[in-house]
Amino acid sequence: MFAHLIQDPPKNFVEDPAPPVVPDAAGQLPRLASTFTDVDGLYYFTIVVCIFFFVLIAGVLAYTVVAHRRKTIDQAPASNATHNTPLEVVWTVVPLIIVMVMFAWGFKGSIDMTTVPVDARWYKATAKQWNWTFTYPNSTQESYGELWLEVDKNAAFVLESTDVLHAFYMPSMRVKRDVIPGRNQTVWFRPTEVGVYHLFCAEYCGNDHSRMYAKVNVVTAEQYASKPPPWVKWDDSTPSAAAASAEKQIYRTLCLACHTTNGAQLVGPSWTNLFVRQADGTVVGAQREVVVAGQRQTITVDEAYIAESIRKPDAKKVIGFENLPMAAFALDDQKIKGLVEFMKTLAPAAK
Amino acid sequence: MTTNVPALDAGAAAAGPRRNFLDVATGFWSWASTLDHKRIGLMYLVGVSLAFLCGGLFALLVRLHLWEPHGTLFSNADYNQIFTLHGAFMVFLFVIPAIPGSLGNILLPLMLGAKDVALPRLNLLSFYLWLVGAALATLAIVFGGFDTGWTFYTPYSLYTEQAVVTIGLAVFVLGFSSIFTGLNFIVTVHKLRAPGMTWFRMPLFVWALYATSLLQVLATPVLGITVLLVAFERLYHVGIFDPRLGGDPVLFEHFFWFYSHPAVYIMVLPAFGIISELVSVHSRKPVFGYKLIAYSSIAIAVISFLVWGHHMFTSGQSTYAMFAFSFLTFFVAIPTAIKEFSWVATVWRGSIALNSPMLYTLAFLIIFSIGGLTGVILGALAVNLHLHDTYFVVAHFHYVMMGSIAVAFFAGLHHWWPKIFGVMYDEFLAKIACGIIFVGFNATFIPQFIMGSRGMPRRYATYVPDYTDFHKASTIGAIVLGCGIALMVYYLVASLFQRRQAMQNHWGGVTLEWHAPTPPPVENFTTPPVVTTEVYDYSTLDLDTMRRPVQ
Amino acid sequence: MSHDGHHAVVIPAPGPEFQPHTVAHHFDTPVQEFQSAKLGFWLFLATEILLFGGLFAAYFYFHEMYPETFRLGGKQLDWQLGALNTAVLLASSWTMAMGVRAAQTSQKKLLLRYCGLTVLGALIFMAVKFVEYSAKDAHGFVVFADLFAPYDTATGQIPWFQDYDGHMAGVPHGHLFFAIYLTMTAIHGLHVLIGAGLILWIMKGAAKGRFHAGYYLPVDLVGLYWHLVDLIWIFLFPLLYLVP
Ligand code: HEA
Ligand code: HEA
Ligand code: HEC
Ligand code: CUA
Ligand SMILES: [Cu+2]
Repeated sequence: MFAHLIQDPPKNFVEDPAPPVVPDAAGQLPRLASTFTDVDGLYYFTIVVCIFFFVLIAGVLAYTVVAHRRKTIDQAPASNATHNTPLEVVWTVVPLIIVMVMFAWGFKGSIDMTTVPVDARWYKATAKQWNWTFTYPNSTQESYGELWLEVDKNAAFVLESTDVLHAFYMPSMRVKRDVIPGRNQTVWFRPTEVGVYHLFCAEYCGNDHSRMYAKVNVVTAEQYASKPPPWVKWDDSTPSAAAASAEKQIYRTLCLACHTTNGAQLVGPSWTNLFVRQADGTVVGAQREVVVAGQRQTITVDEAYIAESIRKPDAKKVIGFENLPMAAFALDDQKIKGLVEFMKTLAPAAK
Repeated sequence: MTTNVPALDAGAAAAGPRRNFLDVATGFWSWASTLDHKRIGLMYLVGVSLAFLCGGLFALLVRLHLWEPHGTLFSNADYNQIFTLHGAFMVFLFVIPAIPGSLGNILLPLMLGAKDVALPRLNLLSFYLWLVGAALATLAIVFGGFDTGWTFYTPYSLYTEQAVVTIGLAVFVLGFSSIFTGLNFIVTVHKLRAPGMTWFRMPLFVWALYATSLLQVLATPVLGITVLLVAFERLYHVGIFDPRLGGDPVLFEHFFWFYSHPAVYIMVLPAFGIISELVSVHSRKPVFGYKLIAYSSIAIAVISFLVWGHHMFTSGQSTYAMFAFSFLTFFVAIPTAIKEFSWVATVWRGSIALNSPMLYTLAFLIIFSIGGLTGVILGALAVNLHLHDTYFVVAHFHYVMMGSIAVAFFAGLHHWWPKIFGVMYDEFLAKIACGIIFVGFNATFIPQFIMGSRGMPRRYATYVPDYTDFHKASTIGAIVLGCGIALMVYYLVASLFQRRQAMQNHWGGVTLEWHAPTPPPVENFTTPPVVTTEVYDYSTLDLDTMRRPVQ
Repeated sequence: MSHDGHHAVVIPAPGPEFQPHTVAHHFDTPVQEFQSAKLGFWLFLATEILLFGGLFAAYFYFHEMYPETFRLGGKQLDWQLGALNTAVLLASSWTMAMGVRAAQTSQKKLLLRYCGLTVLGALIFMAVKFVEYSAKDAHGFVVFADLFAPYDTATGQIPWFQDYDGHMAGVPHGHLFFAIYLTMTAIHGLHVLIGAGLILWIMKGAAKGRFHAGYYLPVDLVGLYWHLVDLIWIFLFPLLYLVP
């Protein structure tokens, strides 16, 4: 367990998080970017109550400790009162009133947060150890680890988990909801400011819980309506370098737990030697030793092989990794093309 | 409190050196097989203190790891084990058994004027069960550790390939240790009060332990069956918590919090009891609103059974459930508010001795007001949806568990140390240590409130760089805190070797334990006490006993 | 343990075949000792009930969630065997009560005889349980040989639930009923065995003449325990065998 103390620990938070949260004017909560103003109002109200009672208690104690400090061993107390009914009524009733205000206010706020407006756009967020997949209304394309929303439009989510508990948490939007396998929960909010925000997994879900992150882009109506929509970042006319960088997000979200881009080996083989850059600059597939149905074979890496490795990982197992499982991913052709372009950028020059 | 017990046992001194419970017999076996509640209490004290230091060591590792956003010491998997170990050790091995097991065991019979707890053998069994639990928890580390968080949420705890069954067994055994202690105390309070010791003459520490015991007996079995079911799930797939088999993970949360919310009051009520005693003795004033404090302990115990859902506001409860749980959560704050104000009123215009137990007590009063009030903030529904599972919650429960309960435990330890051992620690160092602990504690956890409200989720081995500064501040605070605790351990242990004599009644207390010889003999009192006056009646205090060293 | 200046309270034996009882040193009177132990034991019984309470809560929850599964599952249990066991336990509760009575009236032989009968009841109960479990095993409801085998995470197919004859076909999560059945009855069975062990221990003491009109506390407590075991079965039987 402590072996890692002597090894270099993996430096693995998300490579590309959203810009830091900007605190609001009071410097406590992140600046609010949704319509849930009750959270902020109530939060500051409770904080003020908290500070008030803290100051009251600390002040009274400080005064009396200084003023009535025992100086001789036989000093009698300045007062021996053990009852003061009016006082006791006050300190029962006043807190009671205060907490009832908090209760009513908080309940009202939470009702708003649980009743999804009818005109909301429905998205689906699928949580899986340890990544997020988003599905959009009227679109066949999914996005991984990154989400696009239109500003000032109600966004509602069906939350689905394929394994353990997770939670959908966006601090700037003030929403949090557990993602529970077998129960599809919902959450909604209306983003009010264009910007890039954090989406965290807030329920402990295992090793890479802290890396289960998604970047949320709240964009203008025009950007949201652009063709192709922003979550489809390229088409066949896009230069391959741009395609590669667009789909790098998939690598960051889905594959980085097992594959590195620097030759180091985690669970699966590193991607650095899938392709080779030849002297003339062209990139060609490398040779691979694989096991197919128990038979050893040598093949040349190409798009078809990579597509198969992703969709049916067990079909051809890389030698040295025969017994290691890889989960299948249902990525569409375009995404796989982009990933292949990304893998090509990792190719080392041929000797 | 006047009794027919001579405040100082003069006759015994004439008959040669008196034998107290510490030196009446020596050797390993005389301790391992003892039925004396005071010796069992001392063994508990050693055990829970070691557990606390281990838990604290894990905490320091957690803090050091979080120095940088990408984590400095461990892989994510190992970090997850470390914080789980930290939480599990602190909760199950330290904070639940700490005060009842050690100070409670030693003082409850003394305060009631009894010779022992009602069921001494069961008492020893409780301690051995604690040992077995501690051993199993340690074994679980050896068997691959466990990384589920102290809450063991399913289905993760069912799928992870770790020693969850072993730690589940440990929790089960520890649960029974706790149940037996509680059961013993209830019977003792009902059946072994000295003549004249009416319910409303009992010291508030006893009341608090009584309320705690009710919770221990009534809530812990549910935890027992819950961890057993998790173990069964892993062994033969019962399916009730496993969504793949038609089960419901949210049911587990209900089961778990049905115990674990009352458990937080199992932890805190004894601390309240200690504070009630200490504010009175060190202000030399009867406790303000004695009956209300006594009743509020019971009220807290009862209401605490009905608020467990406030840990699950984000789990998609029905609106009605949210309504009820949030409402009752606020309701439980009221008896606590009554206590807090009554303590302040007790100190108010007293004859305030600023010695180390009192300093720890004042630290408690201040820290607990923040810890409790942040709990109230978390109970506010809409706000909870933002703050749940962030460092705000972490800071909240450290304010109550470390800043309040552990500090109250320290306060009690300092207060009764001269009574139990007849020796006095270095008061000067004690005051310094208290200051360092207070400053270090706040430096550790105030940054956590801030980053929590800004959205830093808990149980994160790595984090986005937004929160780096707060984490660094928190880590520095934890190191200061650790130094303070190390200093405290040093002077307390050293006092046992320096053997500077304490006074017979070192602080001028009037409850029954101060009427017993210091340190008490095996049978506690030389003549069975008969109580004739009200509790906390300082007019009966004999100042001479505060000036006369133990022989 | 004896301490200077403290005289132990001793309850004399009612006859030569009995032993006197020394009240524990920290109690002033035998009544105090008796009441303390009794209160403590009642509290312990409360924890036992709460422990089973968790299981009952799970039962009701899933009964709500999958009523069909529970209806069909209940039909697979043999209510006649269950009823037989209920009768056996009720009878043994009666013999235990008579045993306590015998201890209170210092009838050593009778105490031994009734305790023996109670243990016999426990054994019959366990034997019937064994017959029942084997039937479940034969139908593949609970295949004990595969109890601890891992399950297929993709299909959720549990090795110990084979349902050879398809009795539970068509209802969701058929294994859930049997999992709950097994867990509840097994934990209850464990209590029966512990109870039987305690009664044997009582018999050992009774043979030495430790229990008599002056001191029958342990008999009383074990009796209470046995009634609890009975009581829990009284709830289990209709819930598992009849309610569906
Ligand atoms: C011993 C420990 C202890 C104690 C005493 C408390 C006390 C309280 N706790 Fe805390 N709590 C925990 C330990 C404790 N808690 C733990 C361990 C967790 C997290 C578990 C986990 O997830 O790992 C938690 C989490 C937790 C949550 C869930 C947070 C979340 O995960 O979303 C909530 C929500 O309601 C809550 C509320 C409260 C309240 C209302 C009190 C009240 O009892 C507080 C009452 C006290 C006061 C109110 C202060 C004194 C009074 C005054 C100063 C007078 C003025 C008062 C008013 C105006 C009201 N707690
Ligand atoms: C009683 C309970 C208790 C106590 C006292 C503490 C004390 C401390 N806790 Fe702990 N904590 C919990 C209960 C407690 N904690 C729980 C229940 C969790 C949740 C776990 C989970 O999520 O599952 C948690 C989680 C938790 C986290 C969050 C982890 C995460 O979510 O990722 C952090 C982070 O800072 C932390 C820090 C600390 C610190 C700095 C202290 C300090 O106060 C500690 C001070 C003590 C020392 C510094 C020890 C000093 C000792 C020495 C110097 C000598 C050592 C020598 C020997 C061993 C011989 N704790
Ligand atoms: C759970 C760990 C894991 C994850 C996550 C994972 N892989 Fe793999 N991957 C493996 C293992 C193990 C192998 C080697 C065994 C095999 O060939 O199936 C492998 C092999 C491959 C290969 C063949 C490599 C070669 O050198 O020939 C490709 C291509 C691949 N993975 C792509 C991906 C992509 C794309 C993703 C993300 C969408 C991904 N993997 C996510 C574990 C993983
Ligand atoms: Cu997913 Cu935490
Ligand atoms: Cu709670």
